[in-house]
Amino acid sequence: MNATMLAQQILNGLAVGSVYALFALGYTLVFSILRVINFTQGAIFALGAYFTYLFTGSAFGFNGLLANAALPFGLPFPLAALLGGVLAGLVAIGVERIAFKPLRDKGADPLLTLVSSLGMAVVIVNVIQYLVGAEIYSFPASVMAGLPAALTFGPANNPIRIRTVQVIIFGVSMLFVVALTLMVNRTQLGKALRAVAEDATTASLLGINTDQLIQFTFFMSGLLGGIAGVLIGLSVSIAGPYFGISFGLKGLAVLVLGGLGSIPGAVVGGLAIGLAESLVPPDFVAYKEVIAFLFLFVFLLVRPQGLLGRPLTQKV
Amino acid sequence: MLSSRVTQTAFVLITVSALLLAACSGATTAPSASPAAAATAAPQAPAAGSSEISIGVAVAQSSNVSLFGQEQVLGAQIAEKYFNDKGGVNGTPIKLVYQDTAGDEAGAINAFQTLINDNVVAILGPTLSQQAFAADPFAEKAGVPVIAPSNTAKGIPQIGQYISRVSAPVAKVAPNAIAAALKINPDIKTVAVAFAQNDAFSKSETGTFQQVITDTYKFDLATVQTFQTTDTDFTTQASNIMNVQPELVVISGLAADGANLIKQLRDLGYTGLIVGGNGLNTANIFPVCQAQCDGILVAQAYSPQLDTAINKQLVDTYAAEQKKTPGQFTAQAFAGVQVLVEALQAVDQKTPIKGMALADLRTALNEQLLSGMIFDTPLGEISLDPEGEINQSQFYVAQIKMDSDGKTGQFVLLK
Repeated sequence: MNATMLAQQILNGLAVGSVYALFALGYTLVFSILRVINFTQGAIFALGAYFTYLFTGSAFGFNGLLANAALPFGLPFPLAALLGGVLAGLVAIGVERIAFKPLRDKGADPLLTLVSSLGMAVVIVNVIQYLVGAEIYSFPASVMAGLPAALTFGPANNPIRIRTVQVIIFGVSMLFVVALTLMVNRTQLGKALRAVAEDATTASLLGINTDQLIQFTFFMSGLLGGIAGVLIGLSVSIAGPYFGISFGLKGLAVLVLGGLGSIPGAVVGGLAIGLAESLVPPDFVAYKEVIAFLFLFVFLLVRPQGLLGRPLTQKV
Repeated sequence: MLSSRVTQTAFVLITVSALLLAACSGATTAPSASPAAAATAAPQAPAAGSSEISIGVAVAQSSNVSLFGQEQVLGAQIAEKYFNDKGGVNGTPIKLVYQDTAGDEAGAINAFQTLINDNVVAILGPTLSQQAFAADPFAEKAGVPVIAPSNTAKGIPQIGQYISRVSAPVAKVAPNAIAAALKINPDIKTVAVAFAQNDAFSKSETGTFQQVITDTYKFDLATVQTFQTTDTDFTTQASNIMNVQPELVVISGLAADGANLIKQLRDLGYTGLIVGGNGLNTANIFPVCQAQCDGILVAQAYSPQLDTAINKQLVDTYAAEQKKTPGQFTAQAFAGVQVLVEALQAVDQKTPIKGMALADLRTALNEQLLSGMIFDTPLGEISLDPEGEINQSQFYVAQIKMDSDGKTGQFVLLK
């Protein structure tokens, strides 16, 4: 691999890694508070993209209950994306009410929520297919109108090329990461979240409404997942109701690699897995996920707490 | 203590996610027909006096393969209504019984076993070749005729004497597209190939493509890139292809992944010819690569422009429901149902099938299918040879022409 190809693949890895990071932050938030994994994140990811598609005024296909349905208006893409993310966040609150709270109230083992959230994920994905079919949907081409398909730089005879949409994905992902970090570290709300993450019972005794904060955490988690779905949908289209599943699994790997419950860890972990995948030699590129997981496995043998995780670290 | 718990959780999560990821990748597995399982699927008692004839349809109605399965269901439904309106099997209507195979081998085996136990006369399915290699042996052991509507990999009819297909093998169809590419650009020297390595059909197809590229045309096969059908990010493969500066790129994959690779290749500045395999022979790629689908060459076993009465019937009915023309998967599913209905009609004319033992009916149907009977289908005239392989009279090469809105397009036949 020459220097140009190396630079090319590093840029590719950073772009895809930033989405992994955004996705994994949703897991991280919920894990920090409840010490459980929300398996619906992959389905919420897909929902964010479908909601945004609807808000752009686009029509669905002919193979679902909503055959050929479309809103009578179309919103500008950034607004549609934001609304799509917010709706995904609201669905995540619903998931918390249905799949997490009843078990929590009964003092069930947190591991049981793995099953209940997995069940919710299956329900959501199948409801999507029932409503809008398995067709592939794409956001209107006008979303990227006026922008070049790729940015080119470096030597003229062998330039480095990066798709413009990848630059947008990286920028938006990092924007959300910074905003989330500021919210957690610099606001009263963030302090309350950290207190609940540290010890929910003590936080409750101090007057913090833990139930509301848990709902807020799920909302933020759903918002981040939904926005990640929109970004990937923009890059590669909405490839059916199941297209969030592989990202959901990748997000889990990022969560573990970064350090369970660590926000900076999710970011670094996402970028690390993105880079590991992109730097797989061309002859083995179909096995990039296997190689990334092997790398992860070996790394965890050496450092079980992940890249930035600590046994008694501050959560959220 | 906390450290230990975190470590345990981490290892559980990583193991679970790695296993799930592997499962979702649809890894290829060998056929695994167990005698015990097959024994439970033994043919049942006759369906004497039954008011309808049940035919199983086992295709992917969920998973990412449902994109194709959905098209097949539409084709089968149109055929069911069409032939029942014409009297079914000499007055007895047919009833299609659907089972979802999802996109993997286990789903296909479950669907086949359920249909066999439901006493269907024959099965149309499954969607993918790799599912066929796993599920067909169960039908073979139970003596249930199978018509493969879309299994084009090498070796499908050879699975057993009850296995036939109406989908022309890739070795007959694919080379036509390379010849068409050379006709458009006689200066082709360097070729890049990409294929989905977790899909049996794509592996089989790329083998044919690569053989034609290197042996027939002596092109320089500069790189072979692999991917998974579940992949969405192809920038690594696209960058590697751009690096060898090919004049032709040949892609074997399914609709979503193949079209995404094309989109990302075009985004990175590739302007040369692209040949797509059978998995890209569907209008379902249009939403993905949109205007960038323009110019893709695809060898086809079906053309909606074929000027026959039965094809016009299919095209008109499909267009009325879906507002677009049917693709190969729809037409082959229609043809599969047609072949079974017309073969049953022929059996019934020899010996009335009402009252016939189910096992005898299945055997008689299979013998009729393999008798060389000619069927005038939307694919053109076809027949099945004694091994169950399709004999098809004509193939096509189409070039995609996208409309100005970039949303819709046509497969325009190349003369």
